[in-house]
Amino acid sequence: MVSKRFVLKRLLLLVPVLFGVATFVFAILQLAPGDPARVIVGQRASAQQVAQVRTELGLNDPVWVQYGRFLVEAAQFQFGDSYQIAKGTPVRSVLADRLPVTVELALYGQAIGILLGIPLGVLSAVKQDSLTDHATRVGALTGLSVPIYWSGPLLILLFATYLGVFPTSGRISSTTFLPDHWTLFGMELPLTGMVTVDTLLLGDLGAWFSAVHHLFLPAVTIGVYSMALISRMMRSSMLEVVRQDYMRTARAKGQGAKITVMKHGFRNALIPVVTVIGIQFGSLLGGAVLTETVFGIGGIGTMLVDAIGASDYPLVQGAVLTFALLFTLVNLGVDVTYSYLDPRIQQ
Amino acid sequence: MPSAGAVDPLAARLRLVGRALLVGTVVGLLAGVVAVSLFSPRTVRTVFALGALALGFGVLGWSGSVMAGRGIETMHRYMDTGSDWTEEKSRRAMARVGGAGAGVMVGSGLVDAVVTL
Repeated sequence: MVSKRFVLKRLLLLVPVLFGVATFVFAILQLAPGDPARVIVGQRASAQQVAQVRTELGLNDPVWVQYGRFLVEAAQFQFGDSYQIAKGTPVRSVLADRLPVTVELALYGQAIGILLGIPLGVLSAVKQDSLTDHATRVGALTGLSVPIYWSGPLLILLFATYLGVFPTSGRISSTTFLPDHWTLFGMELPLTGMVTVDTLLLGDLGAWFSAVHHLFLPAVTIGVYSMALISRMMRSSMLEVVRQDYMRTARAKGQGAKITVMKHGFRNALIPVVTVIGIQFGSLLGGAVLTETVFGIGGIGTMLVDAIGASDYPLVQGAVLTFALLFTLVNLGVDVTYSYLDPRIQQ
Repeated sequence: MPSAGAVDPLAARLRLVGRALLVGTVVGLLAGVVAVSLFSPRTVRTVFALGALALGFGVLGWSGSVMAGRGIETMHRYMDTGSDWTEEKSRRAMARVGGAGAGVMVGSGLVDAVVTL
C-alpha cells in the first residue's frame, strides 16, 4: 500500500524542480545574445517600434522585476504567444499540438526497452556465462554505445531503403484523413494527438496499422538504448538476488529453479530497475529530439530546437518547463511503483 | 531531547545555505558595483542573470538529487562505474551552489535598485 503522505511529499518536490527550471530558463534567455523586441518586430523595423515593443514587454523594467513577473507567469503556465515559429499562436496551443507526438514516441520507445530489456536481463542472469549471456551483454554494450544519429539513419537505410518494409518518415500514410474529434455516445470529444490512440478511438484499423507501421522504426531507434540499459541493470540485480539466502532456502525446500527465480527473485530484482526507468525516461525525451529530426516527425523536441534557433523565447520557456513537468511526473509514477514493490522506502 | 554535542540537522542545513548566501551576496554586491562603474548600468543585469543561472542550476541539481539520487546511486553500483557519487554529497554541493546564486542575485539586485532609483 502506498501512503498518501509519501505521494504528497513527492508531489511537493515538483515545486523546487519547476522553480529551478524556470530560473534556469530565465537566466539563459537573459544571457542569450539578441533583443527579443527586435526579433518580434523584425530587422527592418525602426528604433521607435523596437522601443515601443520593449516597453510593452516590460524589458525596460529592472531585472529583478522582470524575474518576479516571469516566475508569476510561469507558475500559471502563461508564456504568451509565439514570436516566430507559430507567429501569434498562444504557446499553450502550440505545445498541446506537439507534445503528444514526443510523448507517444517516448512511450513506445520505453515500452520496447522494458518489454525486451527485462526478459533479456533475466535470461542473461539465469544463464550466466553461457553463450546467451555473452550475446546479451555484447548486445547491451553495443546498444549503450551507439548514438541515435547513427543508428536512426542506419535503420532507415536497411529497413526503408534496401528492404522497403518500413516508411522513411512521417507519422501516418499521407492518404489517411483524421478528423479533429471522435464521437462517444453522441458526444464529440477531442482527439489525443497520439495517432496510434486516435486511430483506435476512431475505429479505423487500416489507419492504426499505418500509424504503427510509421512509428516502428523511430520507436526501435529510441528504444534500443533503453533496452540495453534495462537489460544490463536487470542482469546485475538478478545475479545479486539469486545469491541471497532466501533464494537458497526456497531451492532447499524443493521449489523448482524457474519458480524460485520468478516468484521470489523477480520482484526483488525489479526494484533497482524500476528506479532507473524514471531517469531513463528523461534521456528518452532528450533522445526524441534527434529521433524526431532523423525521421521527420514534428514533435516538441524538434520545435524546441527550431525555437532556440529563431530566438522564439516564449516557446523555449514553455517547452522546457513542459519537459521538466513531464519528467517529474514520470518520476513520481516510478516512485509510487517503487514504494509499492518495496514499502520500506516510504519510511 | 538532543544529547550534548549533537548537531541539529536543520541548523546545520541553514548554516550551509546561509554561509553560501552571504558569500554570494558579497560577490554580487562587488560584481554589481564593478559592472556599474566600469561598464554601463545595464551590465548589472548580466551579473543578476549569472546569479540566477547558479540558483537555477543549484535548485535543479538539489531537487534532482532528492528525486532521482537513489536511482542514480543504484545505477552506478549496478553498472560498475566505480563512481563514488552519492545523493547526500550532491545535495549538499547543490545547496551551496544555489545559496551562492541567490546571494549574487540579492547583491546585484540591490545595486540595480540603487542605480534605477
